[in-house]
Amino acid sequence: MSQEPIKLGKRESKLRVDPKWADVCLTCGTCAGGCPVTGVDGMDPRKAVRMAALGLDDELINSRFPWVCTLCGRCERACPMGVEILAMMRKARGLRERDKVPGPIHKGTMMSMERGNNLGIPYDDWLFLLADMSKEMEDEGFPGFYVPVDKVGARVISTVNSKEPFGEPDDMKFWWKIYYAAHESWTVSSENWEGVTWGLFGGDDESMKEQARRVLENGRKVKAEVLLLPE
Amino acid sequence: MNVFELMMEYIKEGRVKIDREKFAGKLATVHDPCNYGRKSEKTFGHGYYDEIRWITDQICDTWVDTYPTRENNFCCGAGGGAWAMPYTNERLYYGRKKAEQIADTGAEIVVAPCHNCRDQIMKGLTKDFDLDIETFYLWELLAESIIVEPWNEEEVEKAHKESEEQWERFGVELEDEDEWTPPE
Ligand code: SF4
Ligand code: SF4
Repeated sequence: MSQEPIKLGKRESKLRVDPKWADVCLTCGTCAGGCPVTGVDGMDPRKAVRMAALGLDDELINSRFPWVCTLCGRCERACPMGVEILAMMRKARGLRERDKVPGPIHKGTMMSMERGNNLGIPYDDWLFLLADMSKEMEDEGFPGFYVPVDKVGARVISTVNSKEPFGEPDDMKFWWKIYYAAHESWTVSSENWEGVTWGLFGGDDESMKEQARRVLENGRKVKAEVLLLPE
Repeated sequence: MNVFELMMEYIKEGRVKIDREKFAGKLATVHDPCNYGRKSEKTFGHGYYDEIRWITDQICDTWVDTYPTRENNFCCGAGGGAWAMPYTNERLYYGRKKAEQIADTGAEIVVAPCHNCRDQIMKGLTKDFDLDIETFYLWELLAESIIVEPWNEEEVEKAHKESEEQWERFGVELEDEDEWTPPE
């Protein structure tokens, strides 16, 4: 952190979830004590709260801490004053310039908005994979099994974590086996089937809402009773 | 409804039957994912701690909790989208707590009810901290232990008709020996 004296402006902050914050935090350090990344970059949640309380917003927003933090919420659970540390961390992430969001989170979020899943798996490949694997399942001892797509009237509609079709397609079979054994009437969507909301991690509320809207819309289209997000 | 409630419904209503021999004699432990625990507790007033344990209990003979547990449990270290970030060392540094907890239980099986957590425990911690464990999704544990009875002829026939219609509607044609490759 800089050696220059820090000038405090008016006590207002983009990061503060509640205006009373600065006074609420006891600086007791309980949060820091329970946080597994305390010490990384000389930071901890108590310091992060102090930074927001003192108006050092940009320093926090541009630091790695809100991203190294796993948003696990142990700090907040333990805080005696109910300081909303998680909401603050997400805000800090959301205020990072979008092209400076670490890793592929922002790219994935945009991909999901454009192509319906974080990893950009094309429509035809998705359907082909499902058809192919349906046959595989039949050969593996599940006669009659197939993956119902956009099936109107299904009771359960399930989203999919794009890493599975992309890299570990066989892991999708766990749920398939359960549905088979339970004689469930279920379905997945041909489009916008992504169940992982990277907007959540990037602090991107708009994309998050849009993704949720699409998933709900898919559910409504097939009139499903149960929406399952196996995350 | 979420994954736990659906699995519980299947078990309670007898729609799936469990073979308890499958994991007999193996000590299991469970991981509490932050999203189903603390975060759900805060957002919806209910953390899914008991459900995970109930389902595990239906399948495994013996399981133990980690310490600390439930609402004070440690995150696996890969929350917040950590898999999609360049901070690998930090992710594993965080995970040391989880690894310690797991090692202390002496369990052979770790039940991870979420994608992130399972990947972190299976692909991150097991190797980096030399853990002697097998990691399962909760639904994987169930899928592996259920007794599958093949459908009867009538059901199979009906399903074949439906699937043929479906793939035709989507214009999907399967050629033999055709392998799917992931997109770039
Ligand atoms: S636990 Fe709460 S009151 Fe204590 S330092 Fe952390 S934020 Fe402040
Ligand atoms: S939410 Fe972040 S700051 Fe709080 S305990 Fe977890 S990793 Fe630490």
